[in-house]
Amino acid sequence: MSSARVTRFSSAERLTHWLTAISFLYAGLSGLAIWSRRMWWAAIALGGGETVRAWHPIAGVVFALLLATMFRRWSAQMRLDADDKRWLAVSHKYAVHQEGGVPESGRFNAGQKMLFWLQSSSAILLFASGAVLWFPELMPRTLRLAAILIHPIASVASIGGIIVHIYMSTLVVPGALRAMLRGWVTPAWAASHHAKWFREIK
Amino acid sequence: MQTVAKLIDTTLCIGCKACEVACQEWNDQEFTMGVFNNTYQTMPDLAPNFWNLIKFNELEIDGAQSWLMAKYQCMHCADAGCIAACPAPGAIMRLPNGIVDFAQDHCIGCGYCITGCPFDVPRLCAKTKKVYKCSLCSDRVAVGLEPSCIKACPTSCLTFGSRDDLKFAADKRAADLRKSGFQQAGVYDGPGVGGTNVIYVLKHADRPTDYGLPKNPSIPWTVQLWKGPVKLLGNLVFVGGLLAAFVHFIRVGPKESHDE
Repeated sequence: MSSARVTRFSSAERLTHWLTAISFLYAGLSGLAIWSRRMWWAAIALGGGETVRAWHPIAGVVFALLLATMFRRWSAQMRLDADDKRWLAVSHKYAVHQEGGVPESGRFNAGQKMLFWLQSSSAILLFASGAVLWFPELMPRTLRLAAILIHPIASVASIGGIIVHIYMSTLVVPGALRAMLRGWVTPAWAASHHAKWFREIK
Repeated sequence: MQTVAKLIDTTLCIGCKACEVACQEWNDQEFTMGVFNNTYQTMPDLAPNFWNLIKFNELEIDGAQSWLMAKYQCMHCADAGCIAACPAPGAIMRLPNGIVDFAQDHCIGCGYCITGCPFDVPRLCAKTKKVYKCSLCSDRVAVGLEPSCIKACPTSCLTFGSRDDLKFAADKRAADLRKSGFQQAGVYDGPGVGGTNVIYVLKHADRPTDYGLPKNPSIPWTVQLWKGPVKLLGNLVFVGGLLAAFVHFIRVGPKESHDE
C-alpha cells in the first residue's frame, strides 16, 4: 500500500499552477519594491526601476490570463458545501491539528477554496486598477486616484493569502508540494487530508 | 539654509511670455509649435519640454470683463504630493533651500507623481519615459543666480528671494490692493500642502480657480490613505504573516499523514 500512488494533479494543472506562481512572484516582488523603499533591492534584483516599471504590468497580464485558465478549470470544484462551512467555523482547530469535529474535505479543503476566491477577486481588482496605473497619460485623474489606492489594498490581500498558501503547502502539509510538483500523493496522504475526495476516486 | 521662493504678483503681469521663453532657453528645451484659437493662449498646457505657462483666463467678474493672467508651474510644496507618491529612491528630492527637484536618471516613469500632485504639474515624456517639471532653476539658484523666468520678467511681476521676505512683501502688496479698492485681493500660498514656495498675489483671491489654481490644494486623500494606514496595515500583514508562520511552525509544526 505504501508504494501506491494516487494521482492528485494533472500535468496541465501543475503547469498552469507553476506558471501562475512565477508570474505572481515577479509581479509580487516588483510590486513590493514599488510598495516600499525598504524593498527597493527587489527592483534592483529584477533589472532596475525602469525595467520593473515596464515588466510589472506585463507580468500582471500574464498572471491574470493564467489565473483565468485556473479559474475555468477549478471554479466548479471550489464551491463551498455544507461541510466546508462547518470546516471554516472550526478552522482554529484545523490550524493546531485537532481533528475532532473538523469535517472531512473533498479535493480541496475549505481553506484552499477561500484562497482561490481571495486570489480571484483580488486579481480582478488588481487587473482593473493596474490597467489604469499602466497608462497614466491616457487615464482621467479620478480613475488614477482610485487606482493608486485600490491596487495596493488588493495586493495586500493577495500577498497575505499567498504567504499562508506557501507556508501551508511547503512546511505544514508534507507531501503537498510533491503533489503539485510531480502530481501524486500516497493513499495515506489522501485519506488523511482529503478523505471525501479519496473515497470518491477509490 | 534659507528657504527660497518665487513671488508672482498677478496684478503686474502683462502676459508678455518672456518668462516662458527664458525657461525654454535656459533649460535648453526644444521649440514646440503652439496653437491658435483666437486667444493669447498660444501654448495650451504644460508639457515635458514646457515647464512654465502663462494662463490667459478671460471671464466676466461682477459685470466687468476681466483678463486674469497667471503663471503656472511647479509650486515647490513643503509637503509635496509628488514626493509622497514617488516610489523610486532619489527620483524626487526636496533640496535644503526648499526646491522640489526631479532627478530623471532615477525616475522610473510610473507617473505616480502626476497623480500625487494637487496642482497637476509633472508631465510624462512619451519618448524618454521620464517625468519633467520646473526645477525653479535649481542649477542657477545653487550658484547664486535667480531663476531664468525671474531674470526675464520686465514688470517685476516675478521676484525671487527668501520665502519669509517674499511672504511679507506679498501680504503687504495684498493689503495695499485692498486699500485701493480691490476688496478680494489676497495671497495664495497653499497652506494645505504646508505652504508653497511659489507665492501668488491675486486680485480675486476668493476665486483662485478662475486663475487656474485649485481652491484648497492638498495631497489627494487616496494617496494619503495609501501611504498612511494602508501601508501600515499592509506591512503588518506581510511581516505579521511571516512571523505567525514561523511561530506556528515552531509551536505546532507539520500536519503529518496518518499511517493506515
